[in-house]
Amino acid sequence: MTRGYLRPAAFSRLGFVVTGLLAAALAGPLVSFHANRILPGDPRSVFACLPPALAAGLVLILAAAMAAAFFGGGWPRLAMASLGIAALGIACGVAASRLTATGGSWSRVSPGMGFWLGLFGLVVLFADAAVRIRFSPRARLSLVFLAGLCLAGFFYSGIWRDVSVVREYDARAADFWREGGIHIMLAAGSLMVACLIGIPLGIGLKFSQALRAPILNLLNVIQTIPSIALFGMLIVPLSWLAAHLPALAKAGINGVGVAPAFLALVLYSLLPVTANTLIGLRGVPAPVLDAARGMGLTSLQRLGRVELPLALPVILTGVRLVLVQNLGLATVAALIGGGGFGVFVFQGIGQGAPDLILLGALPSVILALAAAVVMDALIALTARPAP
Amino acid sequence: MISFEHLTKRYGEATVVDDISFTVPSRTVTAIVGASGSGKSTLLRMVNRLVAPSSGRVCIDGEDIARIQPYMLRRRIGYTIQNYGLFPHYTVAENVATVPRLLGWPPARIEAKVDELLTLFRLDPGEFRNRFPHQLSGGQQQRVGVARALAAEPNILLMDEPFGALDPIIREKAQDDLKAIQSRFGTTLLLVTHDMEEAIRLADHIAVMEGGRLEQYAPPGEMLLHPATPLVEQLIGTSDKAFRVLSLVTLEAAAAPGPPPPGALPLPASLSLREALSELLWSRRNALAVIGDDGAPKGSVTLEAILRRAAGPEASQDGPAAERR
Repeated sequence: MTRGYLRPAAFSRLGFVVTGLLAAALAGPLVSFHANRILPGDPRSVFACLPPALAAGLVLILAAAMAAAFFGGGWPRLAMASLGIAALGIACGVAASRLTATGGSWSRVSPGMGFWLGLFGLVVLFADAAVRIRFSPRARLSLVFLAGLCLAGFFYSGIWRDVSVVREYDARAADFWREGGIHIMLAAGSLMVACLIGIPLGIGLKFSQALRAPILNLLNVIQTIPSIALFGMLIVPLSWLAAHLPALAKAGINGVGVAPAFLALVLYSLLPVTANTLIGLRGVPAPVLDAARGMGLTSLQRLGRVELPLALPVILTGVRLVLVQNLGLATVAALIGGGGFGVFVFQGIGQGAPDLILLGALPSVILALAAAVVMDALIALTARPAP
Repeated sequence: MISFEHLTKRYGEATVVDDISFTVPSRTVTAIVGASGSGKSTLLRMVNRLVAPSSGRVCIDGEDIARIQPYMLRRRIGYTIQNYGLFPHYTVAENVATVPRLLGWPPARIEAKVDELLTLFRLDPGEFRNRFPHQLSGGQQQRVGVARALAAEPNILLMDEPFGALDPIIREKAQDDLKAIQSRFGTTLLLVTHDMEEAIRLADHIAVMEGGRLEQYAPPGEMLLHPATPLVEQLIGTSDKAFRVLSLVTLEAAAAPGPPPPGALPLPASLSLREALSELLWSRRNALAVIGDDGAPKGSVTLEAILRRAAGPEASQDGPAAERR
C-alpha cells in the first residue's frame, strides 16, 4: 500500500468519482430559490449566490479536495473532506441569508442539487480516508462524537437560520424534539425488548433441537411481511384487545398509535437477535467448551463466563442490524399514528413541501449512519482473534 | 488410585467401551493406547464423568465417583485436551486461575499459584501473565493448558492426546517436562495417546485398547517381552523390539559393581542401554564405565551384558516373529 502523500496512490477511480461529483457541484445549482415554501425552485449556482471572495474560497477548497482524492494519502483526504463539508455548509447558509434578504419573508432557499452532489462526493472521500487510516474502534467512536458536536455547532451558530429546512424546524421546534424522542424510543426501545426476548430465546434454541426450526421459520416469515402490512395487521387484534380489556386502553394501548408500531418493530427485531445469538453460541469452539466442562464449570457458569462472552460479537452484529433497520422502519410508523420523524415526511408529502420532508428524512438518515458506525466500533472492541 | 470395574459404555447398538476392569496405582503414569475409535478417549472421559457409563463403575481411592456431583468431581481432577481448549477471551493468568477461582481461593493465593506454575513451565510470569492465547506459540499454549489443569493441585490429571498437536522436536521436550512435573507433584497421570513410542517413554503402565476392549494392561517392559495379543505385538512393533527393551533400562540400573576393564568407554549413568549400545558400537569397544552425576565411577557394563538384556524370551524364538524372517 502506498503511504506517500504525493504519489498517485492507485491512480484512482475514487479520484475520478470525487472529482466528477465536486465539479458537478460547482457547475450545478448550489441552492434553489423558492418564492414561497411550496412553489417550485429557481436554481442558483455558486457564483450567482455567493460573494465573489467566498465563491473563490469554496472553489479552491473543493479543488484541493479533488487533488487529495487523486494524490493524497489518508490524512490529507480526511482533512480536505472535512474542510470541504464545512465550507459547503457555510456556503449554503450564507447563500440562503443573502437570497432571502432580497427575496422577502415568504421566500425560501433550500440546498440545491449541487450542494447534495458535493456533499455526497465529500462523504465518499471522508469514508475512504477513514478506511485508509484504519481508525481504532475508540477513535471511530470519538470521530462520531466529534461529528455530532460539529453538526450541533453549525446548527446553533445560526449560520443556517435562513436555510429552508431550518425554517421548517423553527416553525415546529417543539414537535421536532418530541417526535425525535418518539423515533428513538421506538427504535431503541423495541430493540431492547427484542433483546430481552431474543437472547434468552436464542439460548433456549441452542438446547432444543426440536423447537429450533419451527421458531426460526416463524420469525423468518414475520421478517418477510412488508412493514406497512404488518402495521396494518396489528391494528385489528390490538383494537380488539383494547376494546375488551379497558386496562390496556387506559395504558394507551390501542389499534393505532405507538403500540402497534412498537410491537411491529419488536417482531421485526426478533429474528436477527435470536438467530445471531444462536449462531454466536454455536460458533464457540468445541475444545473450549469441552475444557470448560472438564474443569468443572456448571452449565450456567459456562454460559456466563465462556459462551456468551465469545458469542458477543455475533450477537452485537445482530443488534447493529436491528438498530439500523429500526431507525429506518420507525419512519414508517407515522403512517399509523405512531409518531417519529416520519410525521414530518408524511406531512411534507401531504403539503407538497419538500423542505418539510427533509426535516424528517435528514435526522433519520443521520441517526442510522451514526448508529451503524458506533455499533461497528463496539463489535470491533468486543471481537478477539481466535486462538 | 483409580479403579475401573466392569466399565461399559454403549451408544445405541455400538459398544464403545466393553467391560473394562483394571486399577491405576496412585502416583504413577498410565498410558491408554489405541487406534482412533478404540474407545480410549471415552474411557478417559468416564473418569471425570464427561461421559456416563452404561454399566460398571469407576472408583477413586475406593469412592464410587457416581456419588460425587460431576462439577465438584471435575474441579478435583486436572483435564487437558489435544487442542488445549484455552479460553480465547481470558489472559494466560486468568486461564490458569480458572479452577482455583471456581473453588474460591483467596486472590493472593491464586496469584502466587499462577506465578509458580508459569515459572515451572518456563513461561516468565512478567512476560506471559497478561498475554492472550492467540499470542502464544503452540508449545506455549500446550504448557499453559497443562499449567491450568494443575492449578488446583489435583491428585489426578487426565490428558487426552496432550502432545498430539506439537511438532516432534517440541514434543520430546514437553514429554520430559511432564514426566518431571508428575514425579515432583506425585500426580496420578492417566493419558490417552495413539503413539506407542510416547507411551513407552512416559508410562509406568500401558493399557492397550481395541474395539472397546482392553487387550493388555502391563508395564512397558513386560508388554515388550510378553505381548498378550497379536494386536499388542503389532503395536509395539516387531523389528526394533530389542532396542525398545534396552531403552527402558538406564546404565545406573544395569551397572555391575567393581572396577571397569581397561579401555572401557566412560558414559553418564542416566543414559539408557540403547544409547550406550550405540556409543559402544560406534567407538568399537566392548565395555563401558558408568560415571555418576558427581563424576564418581559407579561400576561397568559390558557389551555382552547389554546384548543379553536385549534377547527376547526363549519361547518367542520359534514364535511368529521368527517365522516371518
